[in-house]
Amino acid sequence: MTDRIRPADAAACARAVAESAAASRSLRVRGAGTKDYLGEVLPADAVLDTTGLAGIVAHVPADLTVTVAAGTRFAEVRTALARAGQFLPLDPPHADAATIGGIVAANSNGFWRSRYGGVRDLLIGTTAVLGDGTTARSGGRVVKNVAGYDLNKLFVGSLGTLGVLVECTFKVLPRPPVTSGAHAQFARSADAFAAADAIVRTSARPAALAISGGPGGAWVLLLQAEGDAAPVERTLELFSQSARAQGTSAQRHEGLSAVLATMNDLSAHGDGTVVRAALPLGAQPAFASTAARLEGFTQFVADAASGIVRVVLRGDDAVVIGGTDALLAAARVCGGSGRIERRPDSLRARLRVWGDAEPAGLFLMRRLKEAFDPRGILEPGRSAAG
Amino acid sequence: MTVRAGLRGAPLVSALIDLLGTDKVLGTREDLLIYEFDGAVDTATPDAVVLPNETADVAKLSRFCHQHDVPIVPRGAGTGLSGGAIPVEGGVVVSFARMSRILEIDVPNMRAVVQPGLVNLHLSTAAAPHGLYFVPDPSSQKACTIGGNVAENSGGPHTLAYGVTTNHVTGLELVLSDGSVVRLGGKAVEYAGYDLIGAFVGSEGTLGIVTEITVRLTPLPEDKRTILAAFPTIDGASETVSAIIGAGIVPSAIELMDQLATEAVEAAVGAGYPLDAGGILLMEVDGLRDGLDEAATRIEAICRANGATTLRRAATTLERDRLWAGRKGAFAAMGRLAPAYYVQDGVIPRTRLPDVLRTVREVAQRHGVRIANVFHAGDGNLHPLILFANESELEGVKQAGLEILEACVAAGGSITGEHGVGMEKNCFMPLQFTADDLATMGRVKSAFDPAGLANPGKIFPTPGRCREFQLAARR
Repeated sequence: MTDRIRPADAAACARAVAESAAASRSLRVRGAGTKDYLGEVLPADAVLDTTGLAGIVAHVPADLTVTVAAGTRFAEVRTALARAGQFLPLDPPHADAATIGGIVAANSNGFWRSRYGGVRDLLIGTTAVLGDGTTARSGGRVVKNVAGYDLNKLFVGSLGTLGVLVECTFKVLPRPPVTSGAHAQFARSADAFAAADAIVRTSARPAALAISGGPGGAWVLLLQAEGDAAPVERTLELFSQSARAQGTSAQRHEGLSAVLATMNDLSAHGDGTVVRAALPLGAQPAFASTAARLEGFTQFVADAASGIVRVVLRGDDAVVIGGTDALLAAARVCGGSGRIERRPDSLRARLRVWGDAEPAGLFLMRRLKEAFDPRGILEPGRSAAG
Repeated sequence: MTVRAGLRGAPLVSALIDLLGTDKVLGTREDLLIYEFDGAVDTATPDAVVLPNETADVAKLSRFCHQHDVPIVPRGAGTGLSGGAIPVEGGVVVSFARMSRILEIDVPNMRAVVQPGLVNLHLSTAAAPHGLYFVPDPSSQKACTIGGNVAENSGGPHTLAYGVTTNHVTGLELVLSDGSVVRLGGKAVEYAGYDLIGAFVGSEGTLGIVTEITVRLTPLPEDKRTILAAFPTIDGASETVSAIIGAGIVPSAIELMDQLATEAVEAAVGAGYPLDAGGILLMEVDGLRDGLDEAATRIEAICRANGATTLRRAATTLERDRLWAGRKGAFAAMGRLAPAYYVQDGVIPRTRLPDVLRTVREVAQRHGVRIANVFHAGDGNLHPLILFANESELEGVKQAGLEILEACVAAGGSITGEHGVGMEKNCFMPLQFTADDLATMGRVKSAFDPAGLANPGKIFPTPGRCREFQLAARR
């Protein structure tokens, strides 16, 4: 039975981490625990539960910023901002349960990244406890700030390995007056991507441009448009035109948010192996056709405007391992990167999350890890950098 | 100033000529004088200037400097406003004048790969035939380089809606101070491991030297509406900024100019700004053409409700360009008012604009100086331009600048929004950050540049130069 530490505030968190460092006790840093599957999860001596660090610290609507304690649930922030007619423009997986700190540490983006920016673009300030118990702030509560190094970026996607986030400040936006959606079906994945590409090259900036597909079935392109009524209508018209140019027709789809949320939560279910790739935009069609030819191919989901692609593979171990290797290699050769987002426990030992390729600049990442967490107690081994 | 034991002066110049050849090294007194200043007010003369042709030259130079304990200071166009390109501890200035090419405009992937010496505006000009542009548009964009933009994390008027440099960089090639070459990122939006690119952008040359940059290109807006609104008082103009954003409208740009700035701009550029206004807002909405007129009309109604006396919407591209020429030429126009100016770059939460602008006026009165204000009001990013005539006034002018920054930090803001800390504000960092915050940044510095040769004397308070200030701050 591992110990559980649940600090009630930033100072208690700093003390707990310092004590753990002194005792060389390794820590799993955990908010709501929605992403326990993410990264190379190794055993830890204790769980540092961040859910005691909760609450909205500051929100001045006309400043378009919000500061929240890192253990606060995203859903709670969403509700509070909605009362002021605003929103934090992130649509992360596990949106109902996930905490702010977990979303930042996991770099949890959904389909809105191209329009509104990702976690790295919206996060403007952090307070974090480093692995030796030092409390360090970076950025601030203003939307533009170049004083000192931007340490915020280092924590995004660090999976808790560099520090425990205790407070985060984000840019927020007024809630757009109109949200609408449409979808279109294509026989070939290449046609769905061609239609998406036609939209990406305009200044329509849809909120979401997602593609889904599966073995033998149709490829579906979904568009969500947000903003004032006139540009939303025009965006839907552009979508119809791009669908027609690929020989199909678009239909309005007003229940799109729920569909997108389900697609986002692809990895929430434990079955299957999910390979995630970040690709140059133009490399997506070839990657999709590679995926569709794999024996274990089960499901394909892409954020076509950002080049983030996820593929679900199922089948016997050899099929899944072979398919995974093929996808990670395909991502690498086109100049992108791939990793395993989720795999069944039975494959943990045989499928390495980050594949075989070393990340560029690994020696610098290791130096940073050493500098921020000298005793190596924070989530040892969980990220690609250690 | 830290005194290093390393190679300096004429022996350094001749060693560099042996290493790289005469055509890449400048070392005469006349040549070096040109490199002792940038867009800010401090100066220092380098021991040598190197003009590399390629990454291998930079790597070779860095290895050499590492062996001989010589500081390296990268320099783009020298337009920086915080002394970032000034070799405060001597050593070698690396000028990227010869590494200024666009290596690739990748239309399918909406990326460009460029060398650091490329002029910012040249990239957008080259991308325009493909319907694309590079978003960051500092007012110096006709001269400043993309390498400099990366070093300073530069902004510009249109970053309110579209982000600053860091939001548009996806790949970097770096040369570290020990000469090692590291390629990070690429054309996709994320890569495995820590976001080293995010940590590097805005590091002002203190973590290493950029030798190649991959940037995001963005589709050009289909159309724009540009509105000029004049207000009797600067308070009226700044309160309107919060009113517009409070109404749920986020324009792509909201710029503010006070009367003194308007006077200078009109004399220099003739942008057509009304001379009798206490404050002028220049605003833009862009995107698909549908709905732009409605958005502009809503903005104009809010301006009117907040007391705007003049409202003008640019009807032609020519008119729009003229309105923007006034804003972008504003710093240069200060020459009409005074022989010299010192610009500050504090940021505040935008709801604090009216009261911090009042403080700026009080500071001007207290020091008996004139201060013109031209700034990114939508971002809360102030640019008070403190006018002066000769060197003897500089200390008082800098003191006035410091008092403005103290007011920004007290309002919950930052000492710099886009110009960088450099050697100008490094002593002020403790205003905004604790010793632990700064020591944490120091850990990043040591990870990239253990020898401390990458642009020393910048960002971090230095014991020698900052002693006086630290004593004052403790009082």
